[in-house]
Parts: sequence; C-alpha cells; structure tokens
Amino acid sequence: MAGSARLIGDPTAGRGIPGVLGRPGPSPFHRLNPLTKATLATVTAVAAVVLGGLIGPAILVAVAVVLPAVAAGVLGRLVRTALLLSLPIAISAFLVNLFFLPGAETVLLRIGPITATAEGLAFALEILARILAISGAITLFYLTTRPADLVVDLERRGISPRIAFVANASVQTVPAMVERAGQITAAQRARGLDTEGSIWRRIRGVVPIVGPVILGSITEVEERTMALEARAFTRPGRRTLLWWPADSAAQALLRWAMLLGLVALIVARIVGVGS
Amino acid sequence: MSLQLSGVGYRYAGAQRPSLLDVDLELPDATVVGLAGASEAGKTTLCLVASGLAPRTVGGRIRGMIRLDGEDVDAWPMHRLAERIGIGFQNPGTQLSQVADTVFEEVAFGPMNVGLARDEIIERTWDALDALRISDLAERDPRRLSGGQQQLVATAGLLAMRPSHLVLDEPTAQLDPAGTRLVADAIARLAAGGASILVAEQKTDLLAAVASRVVVLADGRVALDGPADEVLADPALGELGVAPPSAVRLRSALEAAGLDPAVLGASRDG
Amino acid sequence: MLVRWVVALAAFLIIAVLGITVVGDFTGDQAGNSWALVAAIALIVAFVAYAAVEYMQTGGFASIGSQFDMRTLVLMPIAIAVNIILGAAVANALKIPIYLDSIGTILVGALAGPIPGALTGFVANILWQYIIPPPFQGTVAAPFAIVAAVIGLMAGLFARAGWLRPRPGSSGQSLLIGGAVAVAIVVLLGLYAYTRFYTETFEFLNPETDNLLFIILGWLIVAIFVGFVLGFFALLFVRRDLTVAYVTVAGVATGVVAALISAPISANLFSGVTGSGTDFLVAAFRQAGSDINTATFQQGLLSDPVDKLVTFFVVYLILAAMARRTKARFPQGERLIEGGEAAADDGGEWRGAPA
Repeated sequence: MAGSARLIGDPTAGRGIPGVLGRPGPSPFHRLNPLTKATLATVTAVAAVVLGGLIGPAILVAVAVVLPAVAAGVLGRLVRTALLLSLPIAISAFLVNLFFLPGAETVLLRIGPITATAEGLAFALEILARILAISGAITLFYLTTRPADLVVDLERRGISPRIAFVANASVQTVPAMVERAGQITAAQRARGLDTEGSIWRRIRGVVPIVGPVILGSITEVEERTMALEARAFTRPGRRTLLWWPADSAAQALLRWAMLLGLVALIVARIVGVGS
Repeated sequence: MSLQLSGVGYRYAGAQRPSLLDVDLELPDATVVGLAGASEAGKTTLCLVASGLAPRTVGGRIRGMIRLDGEDVDAWPMHRLAERIGIGFQNPGTQLSQVADTVFEEVAFGPMNVGLARDEIIERTWDALDALRISDLAERDPRRLSGGQQQLVATAGLLAMRPSHLVLDEPTAQLDPAGTRLVADAIARLAAGGASILVAEQKTDLLAAVASRVVVLADGRVALDGPADEVLADPALGELGVAPPSAVRLRSALEAAGLDPAVLGASRDG
Repeated sequence: MLVRWVVALAAFLIIAVLGITVVGDFTGDQAGNSWALVAAIALIVAFVAYAAVEYMQTGGFASIGSQFDMRTLVLMPIAIAVNIILGAAVANALKIPIYLDSIGTILVGALAGPIPGALTGFVANILWQYIIPPPFQGTVAAPFAIVAAVIGLMAGLFARAGWLRPRPGSSGQSLLIGGAVAVAIVVLLGLYAYTRFYTETFEFLNPETDNLLFIILGWLIVAIFVGFVLGFFALLFVRRDLTVAYVTVAGVATGVVAALISAPISANLFSGVTGSGTDFLVAAFRQAGSDINTATFQQGLLSDPVDKLVTFFVVYLILAAMARRTKARFPQGERLIEGGEAAADDGGEWRGAPA
C-alpha cells in the first residue's frame, strides 16, 4: 500500500514497501509530503482559535478540512472519527456554556435552579465550531498520513535518529501496551479480579493491571537496550535511510505561504482588524 | 578470524563475587562452540562479555584479555564491536527495534545505523533473509509473527551486519517446539555454511546436533572443554547440572539395563 | 559546573524582571497569560544560556547529552505510552477532576534527569494529539506540552536533589519533624492560593450563604485538605519512610506550578473546557461568579496539586518496586537508591567500560 511514501531505488531489490494500516487507496492528497499535511493541520487548528466566532471556523472547516477530505476520499471516516473524538469535549462545552455562562441574561429555558441562556447558546456554538475545526484538521492529517512517514521525513531533514526512534517507538508502544494490559486483565479475571461494578471497585481493579503492565515494561528496558546497542544504534552521526517521502518546490512554497498567512492573521488579530 | 578470551573474569556492578573467573575460550572461524551449564552458571554473562555488552552497556568490571583476530578490543566502543560480533537473546519480542513496520526494515536496521550505502544495505538485507529462508516474510509486520519467526528475524538482523562471529544466548529457551525446530534448523544451516557461532543452550540435544566443541561452565569457571561428543558423553555432566542429550541418556539407560548400546547403530545423534 | 547554573539562573531572573516591567500590569484578566508567557520565555533563555556556557567551557553538551543514554531512549517511549493511555482513559472514561497523564514524565525525570523528563512530557503531549489514533487521541493535549515539560523538569530536579531516595527506618523524631515541615509548606502554599485566588469570589464557609453551590465547593476544599493531612500522616507512619514527606512537598509544589502555567492556556484556547472531569469544576466556579481566567486558576489549584501528588506517589511506588540493579543503571539511578553508591571495586586489574 502506498500511503504517502514511495520507495526510491532499485525496483527489483526494493520490495520493502511498508504495509499500511488499512487506510483507503492513495489519492493526490495522500501523496502530499507529510510535512505539508502537518502544516495544513496545524495552521488550520491555530487559525480556528485565532479567528474565533462562528463564521471563521466554519469557513476553515469547509476549505481546509472538508474539501481535501473529499478529494482524498476519506470524508465518511473523517466525519465519524472527528465526531467521535470531539464528543466528550463537545458535550462538556455545550452544557457548561449553555447553562453556566456568567453575565448572560436572555433566558431560553429554566430547569430547576439552572437556566439556559441565548448568549450561552451562541458561545457554546462558537466553542463547538472551534473544536470541530481542530479535531477535523488533525483527523484529516491522521487519516492520510502514516506516522512513520512523518518521522522519516523529519529525519531526512535533519532531526536526530534518536528523537526519531523515540517518536516511532512511542507510536508502536501504545497499542502494544494496551494489548498487554488486555492480556493481564484476562489473566487477573481468571484469578477472580472484579472489573465490573461500582466505580470504587473498578478503580481498585485498575491497580493489579496497571502495576504489572508498567513494571513489566520497565523490566524489558534492559533487554531492549542491549539489543539496540548490539545493532550499533549508539553510533554517532547520521544513519542511512532506505526511503523517504517525496517533496517538491511547489509544496515548500505552499507551506511557507500557509505559515505566513497564519502569522498575518495573528498580527491582524492583535492589531484589532476585523472582529 | 578468531575471537579469543584469555583469563577473563567479570563482576556485575554492586556484586560481591565475580560471575566469571579465569575463562579461556576460543571461537575460531567456521566453528560452532556450544556453551552448557546449569542456570546461573554464567552462560549469559559469558555471552555478554564475549560480545562486548559487558561491561560497556551493562556496567560492571572485567579483567583478562579479549582479542579479535589477535587485536585487543578492550578500547573499542560498542557500536564498533557490533559490526564484528552479533549477539542474539532469548526473548524474541524484546529484540525488535520497535521502529520497523516490516521485517525488511527490521533486518535492515543494523546496516542503516552503520551508515552503509543504500544499495549495500538492500543487498545485505536480502542476503540475510535468504540465508535464513524467511524472504517470504519480508513485508510482514514483525510484531505479528510467531516466536520462532521473530527469533529468525532477529538473527537475520544480526547477519545483515556481516559479523565475523555470532553469539546466541539460549535462542530457543522461550520458544514452543515448532519454533525450537525452526531455529535449530536455521542454526544448523548456518553452521554448515561455515559460520562461527557460540551458542549457549540448556537443550543439549541442540548442541549435540550443531556444535563441534562444547564448553561447560560451573560457578563462573570452565569445568569441561573439548570435542562435543566427548564432553556431552562425560558422566560428570549430571553433577554440573546439565542434562545430557537424549542419545547419551538412551545409551546410559541401555547400559544400565545390561543391553549392548551398539544396538543403536553407528549414528550417535539418535 | 556551578558557573553554568549561576549563568542560567541569572538569565532566568533577567528575562523575568524584563518581562515583568514590560508587561507592567499583573492584575486583572490577562495576568495569568502574561505570567505564563514570561515564565516560558525565561525558562527557554535560561536553558540556552546554560547550554551556551557548557559549550564554551567544554566544546560539547555532555551534561545534557549524558542524560540521554540508550536506556533513557528506550524508557521514553514506554513512559510516553503510559502517559497517553492513562491520560486518555481518565479523561474519557472516568469523569474525575484529575488528569493522571504525567506518570511517565515524572518517572523519566526521576530516573534519567530533568532534560529527558522535560522532553518526555513535551513529546508525549505532541504525539498524543497528532500521531496517536483514536480512541486514545487527545484533542487538547498539544498546547499543554510546555506544562508537561516543566513538570518533567521539576521532577528531575527534585530527584537530583535526592528527594526520591528511600529512607526506610527513619526515626520517629525525624518523621515528626519532616511531617510537620511538609504539612506547613503545603498549608503555606494553600494559604497563598486561597488569598490570591479564592477570597474575592466567595466566602464559602460563611454560614449565611445559602447558595448550594458555594457550600458544596467549600466543603470540597475542606475535605480535600483534611483528607490530605490525615492520609499523609497515616502513610508517613505506616511506611516509616521520611521520603513520604519529601514526595508530598514535591507533588504539591509541582502541582501548583503546573496549575499556574496551564490555567491561562486552558482559559484562552479552550475557555476552560477540555473534555475531562475538570470542566464541571470550572463551570461551578464560573457560576459562583469568577471570570474565565480566575475560574481556571481556581480549578487548577485544586486539581493539579492533587493530581501531581497522586502521580508522585505512584512513581515513588514504582521506583520502590524496581530492583536496585535496574535503577542503578539509569543516569540518575544512584540518587534513587538508599545508601547511595554501590560497593567499591578492588581496582587493579578490574577495569570498567571504555570511555
């Protein structure tokens, strides 16, 4: 699966194209350099915060999130994932601002001691729009880019192989640790651990799982360190990369344009232009 | 190209007693030396010392001399030794680099670190995969393989460095019988191909199959050292905490029952 | 060595003073933001100054780089994963007003040093938002990366000062003194927080108040405090380990600093709403009359010290469960082992690793 990478070099020997984690087929957007996509996501997220209001984030979402998502063919997954992601925050934000916005006067609804206000509603919608913009932008990035691609790209541009290692290993360790936690949970359940029931019991049930998971991982540090040193990882200097994502002058220009646009927006906001 | 340990002693950091004392060991070219001994006899320590991980990574204090092709390697940094001596461990999972999504990248990890040219890396990686007959696994996710397969991937990763010697610390200890057979066959093939290997094992059957010499450790010292069939048939093995290979046990059982072991025929490998 | 630290401290103070004079007004709404900005810039400049002096002295960055040996690099992904998994679980599943997303950061700070600790926290937050897939992905983690970095830094410095070294079998007298000092420090910090942030809003223990919310909040604060004192002394005397007192102070201090830096971020970027259990606490304070900036401070100064206290204790327990040999091999491991240095060697023919 191509993802956003392409193997450079001898085609007969270069069959080591990494498998992709089940993402849909490549599109031109997928094939953009990971740094470009990351810049797009970050600029969109920051701009949504800076702009404020309802219209600004809405336009951002339409242009910088929905449009590329359609082009990349991931709109359905994007919507589902972004909504799932923002649900806890959305609910909190909505309720908190709807009912508890201080200084709000126009009453819409009264439920016992708490009141819903029109200003609260407006503010809640603004926050919602902002949150949707941020989670949408980041989900788009996540859905169209493999983490390893971004790390390789950064390493190619000069970040230390050690930082690259920490980033890559972290991404792999999260699911591995969850899996191990699942195994330990099953083992503890077989020994009679109670994982259902009241919140207090569940919290107590966490300890016999979290403890072994963390301690087990720490015990492995020694072996893993030896294995890495045995493969010359401590050698100072750069290492050779097998492949890296393609880039182009046009994309570099686009990245700078986006960043400058963001800076201009921030300056305009500080100076007080517009609302 | 031989690896030579002379009068080597080693003590872990904070330990009262040394874990190794007065060890003389030679690992010549195209030889497989088996390392046997009870647990805590010092097999793992000897592997760590031979590969240079002790004292470089593990800490502790060493004495004696380690020579690679006659040259004293005491001042060599770990990454330089890693290109000449490869060491494999028991646990297949913790040897994965955690940065590779495919077996190919996993095996190429070592050569990449050393900074070789890309074509060279690709060639060495395929050679290593071929040598262990796992080329068909090249695009698989190394985390999703069986223990035996992972152990082969780890070994391929070592081979890709083109070391002059391999040190394997109980490679089959954490594998099921299928995995054990997979790895044992691979070691036998490497041995037949002329590799220089030091393999520590509790499973003396494996040593009987591939080793030409066997060294038995007890309490950190060399207790026995000689040709494999002699050492593995030595009656002292039991006291040293080592279970003799099944062929030897079968022979002893026949003798004890008053039968003629020649019944087994010429083959001593059982 | 001392020169570097002095230069760094001087740089920090210079920038801090400059910042304070430039900003001028530290009361009112934007006070928190200005504080955080000045503190962050001062920290960065101090770090650069430290590194520059070291480079001039030694031509390298050994004291920083040595904290990053292979073992540290292998530990960091584990710590990052623990941060993310526990942080996501608490934020999404348990709606309690604490975070529990710094256990890994503080663990690395303790074992490896302030810089790796800071980096662990920073990278964890960035990865959490950008690279980790749902359901663990965090939507508000990245802007708090600087807070996580400061937490790791503080943990590393506390560990370097020996605060996390176990002291079993402490004498009853030292336990009493240590316990009293710890409680006194916490009370002082609490008083500072109270007079600075809470009195203007309401008088929660005023018996004439009949607003239910005020009363609940008031008793919450009292309960936390009483529970803390009781639990603290119980723990201190059950374990007979003076380190409990040190860990307590470290946790509360880190929590207060974290609250001060994270409140303006939360207020300005997210209006106090981050999808975790803390949102309702913020809402309660806003309903009690605070503006958004003050409310986030009020919530933070309750949640963060409790959260960091719990986290420091968890790390203390993890360190206690680790074998001595395992800890010793980490860059700062020696400071986490009771009794300090391992057995001296007999020298002579026994050599250590090559330089």
